[in-house]
Amino acid sequence: MQAILQIFKDFHKNLPILLMVLPGALGFILFSYLPMGGTLLSFKQYRYNGEGFLSSFFSSEWVGLRNFTFLFGTNDAYIITRNTLLYNIAFIVLGTIAAVAMAILLSEIVNKRLSKLYQTGMFLPHFMSFVIVGFFVYSFLNMDKGLLNSILERFGMEGISWYTTPEYWPFILILTNLWKSIGYSSVVYLAAITGFDRSLYEAAMMDGASKWKQIRSITLPLLKPLVIIMTLLAVGRIFYADFGLFYNVPRNSGALYPVTNVIDTYVFRGLKTTGEMGMATAAGLYQSIVGFILVMASNYTVRKLDKDNALF
Amino acid sequence: MSIKTRKYRDIHSLSPLMNIVFNVVAALFALICLFPFAFVVILSFTDEKSLALHGYRLIPEKWSTYAYEYLFQNGSQLLQSYVVTITVTVVGTLISVLVIALYAYGISRSSFKYRSFFSFLALFTMLFNGGLVPTFIVVTQVLHLKDTIWALILPMAMNAFYIMIMRTFFKGLPDGIIESAKIDGATEFQIFRKIVLPLSLPGLATIGLFCTLGYWNDWFNALLYIDNPNLVPLQSMLMRIESSMAFILQNANTNGLGSVAASLPQETSRMAMVVLATGPIVLAYPFFQRFFVQGLTVGSLKE
Amino acid sequence: MNKKSRLSLLLVLVLACTAILSACGGTNKEQGAESGSSPDAGNQKAVELIWYNIGTPQKDTDLVMEEVSKYTAEKIGVTVKMKQIDFGDYTQKMQVLTQSGEPMDILFTASWGFDYVQNARKGAFMELNDLLDKHGQGIKETLDPAFLEGSKVDGKNYGIPANKELPAQDVWRFNKQWLDKYNLDIAGVRSLESLEPLMKVIKENEPSVVPFMIDRNYVPNLPYDYIIQNLPMAVKLDTEDFKVINILETPELKEALTTMRKFYQAGYIASEVATTTNNSDLTTTGNWFVDRPTTQPFADNLWSASLGYPVVSTPATDSMIYNWSVMGSLQAISANSKHPEEAMKFLNLLNTDVYLRNLVDSGIEGVHYEKVSENVAKNLDKSRDYDMPTFAIGNVMLNYLSEDDPSDKWEGFRKFNDEGVPAPLLGFNFDGSNVLTELAALNNAKDQFWAPLMTGSVDPDKYLPMAIEQFKAAGLDTIIAEAQKQLDEWRATQK
Repeated sequence: MQAILQIFKDFHKNLPILLMVLPGALGFILFSYLPMGGTLLSFKQYRYNGEGFLSSFFSSEWVGLRNFTFLFGTNDAYIITRNTLLYNIAFIVLGTIAAVAMAILLSEIVNKRLSKLYQTGMFLPHFMSFVIVGFFVYSFLNMDKGLLNSILERFGMEGISWYTTPEYWPFILILTNLWKSIGYSSVVYLAAITGFDRSLYEAAMMDGASKWKQIRSITLPLLKPLVIIMTLLAVGRIFYADFGLFYNVPRNSGALYPVTNVIDTYVFRGLKTTGEMGMATAAGLYQSIVGFILVMASNYTVRKLDKDNALF
Repeated sequence: MSIKTRKYRDIHSLSPLMNIVFNVVAALFALICLFPFAFVVILSFTDEKSLALHGYRLIPEKWSTYAYEYLFQNGSQLLQSYVVTITVTVVGTLISVLVIALYAYGISRSSFKYRSFFSFLALFTMLFNGGLVPTFIVVTQVLHLKDTIWALILPMAMNAFYIMIMRTFFKGLPDGIIESAKIDGATEFQIFRKIVLPLSLPGLATIGLFCTLGYWNDWFNALLYIDNPNLVPLQSMLMRIESSMAFILQNANTNGLGSVAASLPQETSRMAMVVLATGPIVLAYPFFQRFFVQGLTVGSLKE
Repeated sequence: MNKKSRLSLLLVLVLACTAILSACGGTNKEQGAESGSSPDAGNQKAVELIWYNIGTPQKDTDLVMEEVSKYTAEKIGVTVKMKQIDFGDYTQKMQVLTQSGEPMDILFTASWGFDYVQNARKGAFMELNDLLDKHGQGIKETLDPAFLEGSKVDGKNYGIPANKELPAQDVWRFNKQWLDKYNLDIAGVRSLESLEPLMKVIKENEPSVVPFMIDRNYVPNLPYDYIIQNLPMAVKLDTEDFKVINILETPELKEALTTMRKFYQAGYIASEVATTTNNSDLTTTGNWFVDRPTTQPFADNLWSASLGYPVVSTPATDSMIYNWSVMGSLQAISANSKHPEEAMKFLNLLNTDVYLRNLVDSGIEGVHYEKVSENVAKNLDKSRDYDMPTFAIGNVMLNYLSEDDPSDKWEGFRKFNDEGVPAPLLGFNFDGSNVLTELAALNNAKDQFWAPLMTGSVDPDKYLPMAIEQFKAAGLDTIIAEAQKQLDEWRATQK
């Protein structure tokens, strides 16, 4: 009795703030938690029965793990997993190195006005959607009108049919992604660098440390926590690919699927073309679960190494 | 004395040679970032015939503003899409910022008893999600948002990451102010509105900018949920014209459309569309870039 | 320990909330559906039918449908709302819409768009035999019986075929302005190779014109009848033994691909064809020389009217009746339709009523077209705002003739239908349910190789062997064996 009364009392006392959290909580429940329940679809062979989605859902046959065996039975699971992981690893490693290097470079430039100007230029791609980036890339790679082929031809080489030649696409996609992201992330690092305690550098200078030495022994160590946080955040998303990059930029070209198909595009095409909802959901669930495990694992590792830098 | 200062400065700044190298590298990369956009602008001002003959050139054989003239006469779809995008961006950003701020404030208050539950509710969505297909079904079949403007707004309204940023921000506010307001008899909502919000403007601005950019550049939701041409936002329209300009001609003025259709500049009009759709962002972003940078340092990274 | 158990408790709570909420969502939805249909029960108001159709959305669709509704409300107590989805998106969008239970009553389906047989088997459509008997007498009387017979799936009808041409014949269609300008003669054109001299002239003289207008779905004509469209299993058109073969290994394909490659390299084909889904920019501007559509009697008139400039055509293949041509255009009733009876009444009217059929097809008289005489009509300027795919909306033989049409146009259709030769696989529908995994893998291989190979975008000497290898790895031989088994069984029942 006392306990129930206490619950009521608590509830009443917290009511105003509860009301504040309510809209957001509702949003999460509708757009995040309800779909989580929907993942049960991946264990069914979904067949529409004419009575609306839920009724069809209940009347559809349970097939256990068959949708997953489909996924892993074909070569697809391997290809999309490999592509998603490798691309993201490349993005994280190269992106971090390039962004940190660019941030240090920008911080060392003597003329701060020029440095600001460069930053502004580099920041532009961040504001463009991948639809627009797709147009940009197309203006370079178009077979008979594109800039790249006309340059190749000027040097007496034969033009390349870029959109049907998978070999080049890992590079194109990585470059495109770096192009779009370096400016933004280098500004993040730069902001941190400008915040560093100047007296550390002054002391180092007094000791006659060279510029390289200062960067190596002051800037980089101080940047480490931020790099770890940024990397952790990225690793948490390592099983998710940017749909626009892999769908719009290669113009959904079938010939490129072996190197452009990632989990996200696979699920999308599964939903749109084969119409097998169960299979598409299964691929999505696979992504969520492995993604979850990866975040947990990487967080655990960081925690072991350096407790303060873990996310949670 | 003077020698000493010079030496000091030498160590402090780069050697002139390195400074030049650094400048060149940074400038080069900045140019590479700007180049594609400039290139598309050039293409949009190229004469259609010379483009068909010589391909995409940095310096066209013949310039022309015909693509723009054509679009201004026939591109009412462009205007429609602008209206949709602006509506979605404004309404969406307002809703997002408000809901996120309320939620983040709630879970930042140490006196809130269910704090950890709601923190978890938000955090867990960063770790696990239902995936595309179930989300699609919830939006279309449970909430019936298909072909409504809300399908472009609501699925993007909540974002756990922004909530965490705002929570950190609110936690940084001095506790004393809130407590003393409480003693003065202010309700929680009054405190939030009169004290917390004004103090958090930089944080709110950051989140607001993130949301604005997210809504402005979103096309995936439109791809999934929108069929009605009157609700197609800019980015999605750009995606549709990739394969065919027919989409924007549907809403064109019909006076003698036959000749209008035949004179369609196929390639350059596409490029002109890209320019018209991105132009405002390109012109405006240097002004709000500053807030972005500020915001980046404010929120997430302090924790 | 303590912390852990608290966390799991939270998790359980969240899951419980989710379950409850989703249940609520469910009941709400059911109620919504109920209340939606209750006013109709009182027969107070006309029933609204939602009709999904293929075709580029038109500006005046709603306007015309209002007019249609006025007529049908009076006649059979229904109003009509048409939603159009463009050709390129139709299959994909309908796939999602039907599976997720979007409300609809009537929908377009065909062998080539939102696959009729496959979706009938999946349960997307309502079985129509009883409804046809009850409300579809008119359809049964007017329609060539070969259509209803030929579009049965496992013995049942799931769609109302449009009364139109029964056999399929591909033609080379030429943009007349270029023929005239360069004084070109198309009399000797028939094979793919025979196009070359003509395209050469265009390529050399008109740099902004695409000589051969195709998109990523183009496949060269081969003398084979496919088990499943666009998957490489087929029997020869003049087959005696009904042996299913891998079409990628045939000499005919190799030869056709070599020609396509030659065309591609000569610049007769747009260089980005392998990613091109839509050529409407070319058709609006007229910057194309030849393409290869499927024809019908007097099609040139129809095309010229719809494009707005003259075209002429000459046969590329023989006229044959295929499964896919019989099922070339159907209107089905959705499995989730709340008003199947009304939908059938409407379809019956659409296929028998001259006024309604012409209204849906050509728009409002005096706005989109005007009558020249009893059954001849002329397009007005506004017809640009309402250009419908005529073949997709029921009985074409009710249509008003255009001024250039011969007065015996529909006689010509009947003759054309009678003369069509049945293809070997007519009436055989492959059931893929035993080889689903292989089919999925096969489709992936197809996505990767089909468009680049068939359009000549890649070198067949290099890519054809690769494609064959990939298709085999995906299980092509298994599916061929399954198809052969089903085909043999089917033939046994035919004797």
